[in-house]
Amino acid sequence: MKDSPKITVVLNVLIVVFLALAVTFLVRSRNNQVALQKIPLVDPDYIKTATVRASYAELAGAKEDLSDFDCYGCHEKGKPPTLRFDDKHILIVPEEHKDIVMGHGRNNRNNICTNCHDETNLELFQTRDGRQLKFSESSQLCGSCHGPNYRDWEAGAHGRTSGYWKRDMGPIVRKDCVSCHNPHSPKFPGRHPAPPPNMLHPLAKPTPVAEGEH
Amino acid sequence: MSDQSPDKESQPDGCDEGMTRRSFLRKSAVLTTGLAALAAGLSPLLGIENFPSMQEFMQKYYKELTPEEMAKVLERIEREVEKQYGIRPHVRDLKPMDGVEYVYCLNLSRCIGCRKCVHACVAENNQSRNPEIQYIRVLQMQNGSFDMEKAVHDYNPEKVPEKGHFYMPVQCQQCKNPPCVKVCPVHATWKEPDGIVVIDYSWCIGCRYCEAACPYWARRFNFAKPSIPKERLNPEMDYLSNRPRKQGVMEKCHFCLQRTRAGSYPACLEVCPTGSRKFGNILDPNSEVSYILKNKRVFIQLKEELGTSPRFYYYFDV
Repeated sequence: MKDSPKITVVLNVLIVVFLALAVTFLVRSRNNQVALQKIPLVDPDYIKTATVRASYAELAGAKEDLSDFDCYGCHEKGKPPTLRFDDKHILIVPEEHKDIVMGHGRNNRNNICTNCHDETNLELFQTRDGRQLKFSESSQLCGSCHGPNYRDWEAGAHGRTSGYWKRDMGPIVRKDCVSCHNPHSPKFPGRHPAPPPNMLHPLAKPTPVAEGEH
Repeated sequence: MSDQSPDKESQPDGCDEGMTRRSFLRKSAVLTTGLAALAAGLSPLLGIENFPSMQEFMQKYYKELTPEEMAKVLERIEREVEKQYGIRPHVRDLKPMDGVEYVYCLNLSRCIGCRKCVHACVAENNQSRNPEIQYIRVLQMQNGSFDMEKAVHDYNPEKVPEKGHFYMPVQCQQCKNPPCVKVCPVHATWKEPDGIVVIDYSWCIGCRYCEAACPYWARRFNFAKPSIPKERLNPEMDYLSNRPRKQGVMEKCHFCLQRTRAGSYPACLEVCPTGSRKFGNILDPNSEVSYILKNKRVFIQLKEELGTSPRFYYYFDV
């Protein structure tokens, strides 16, 4: 090393500066933990696998209250109920059945009780081709009009199948049509989605595309 | 600065130049600075919260483990999870079944974008809640277009499905020609005979090449120690799938192999309220996936032009 006081001083200053930086860095990195954003745990309702409804067969199997299906508790045997329509030929749902909202088919095409219910025997369904079906066989009633979906359902491609994909290792659970679809208003209402992903940084929003532009 | 001074005695060990106090102090100051800088540079290591134990570190490669060694590894994992979460899990090592190749079919006409699959997967596979890891990402796409650049990831309306959109959940496509497997420098990820692309979390070095290679962004990295609430831990685990991971390893959808290799459906399928998801063995002509692939008409594979041959078939049927 050259015997120069300037270089010595500079080097000594650098030593001190680097030491100070190193100490600061060590101390700060220990204490400066980045706080994670608070992410609430998801509501367990979003992970439940139960269907929104239960079919007659399921209710009977679980020995639940079947009094809703006891038609002749109120109706008279041998006296078919009269259907009342308003001046626009829209079915008027009677007060006793006001929990039923009719919405089967577009443009009120299928909102006639006797299209499915047998008026001579209210505890049975009737198909357009003349079959009579029990409440537990309701899927066949749906299939008598909705053929392609019924065929897919029989193959396991429509609706919910849970349990074992390897059929010889365990049982499967197949759901009837009415376990998911309300028979009087089968189109699914919307539902609130589960929470969106929490980004570490916000995604750049896509440029909004005007209607009709692709 | 010269250390030569005429009246300095030579050292007994033959060193000609003696160490003066000044030079000693200077050299040790430099040395200390250097060591301090080194320590400061290594300080991020202070932030690692779970170093592997010596047994895990010395563990052999998965494919070279004998069954007895594997049993010891599983028992060690059970002990470690019990120590950390207070629940003794059941960790298995399920092997792929013969004559089985999995395929996933997803009906885009039926998906309503409710994201139940996302959260069922998180619950089943012990993913980190904070920082958040979710294997499935549901994209809200515009009707009439398959442009994923215009997809919205963080939609949160009052009701789904929203008019004018369809919903497409994306997860690991378990490609038949996986780019992630090709780029892994340590072979910590590979394709199993039943089609599932698996990761050995004890072998992964966390370089994230696979995350860069995947065209579907299927791979997730643990930037911090995963935090799983104890009450939501799923104790039915498998070595290659849902045992709790540590900081610095990749993870991804593995078709719930702890369930599917035991014959049941994956968690995302079980929870889907509209039955849009269909899973099964494509080599079985009677499975519902065989029925779908034979009878439905419009199939989409994501980014087909890249040649990854995904096992995920999206279709429309109404």
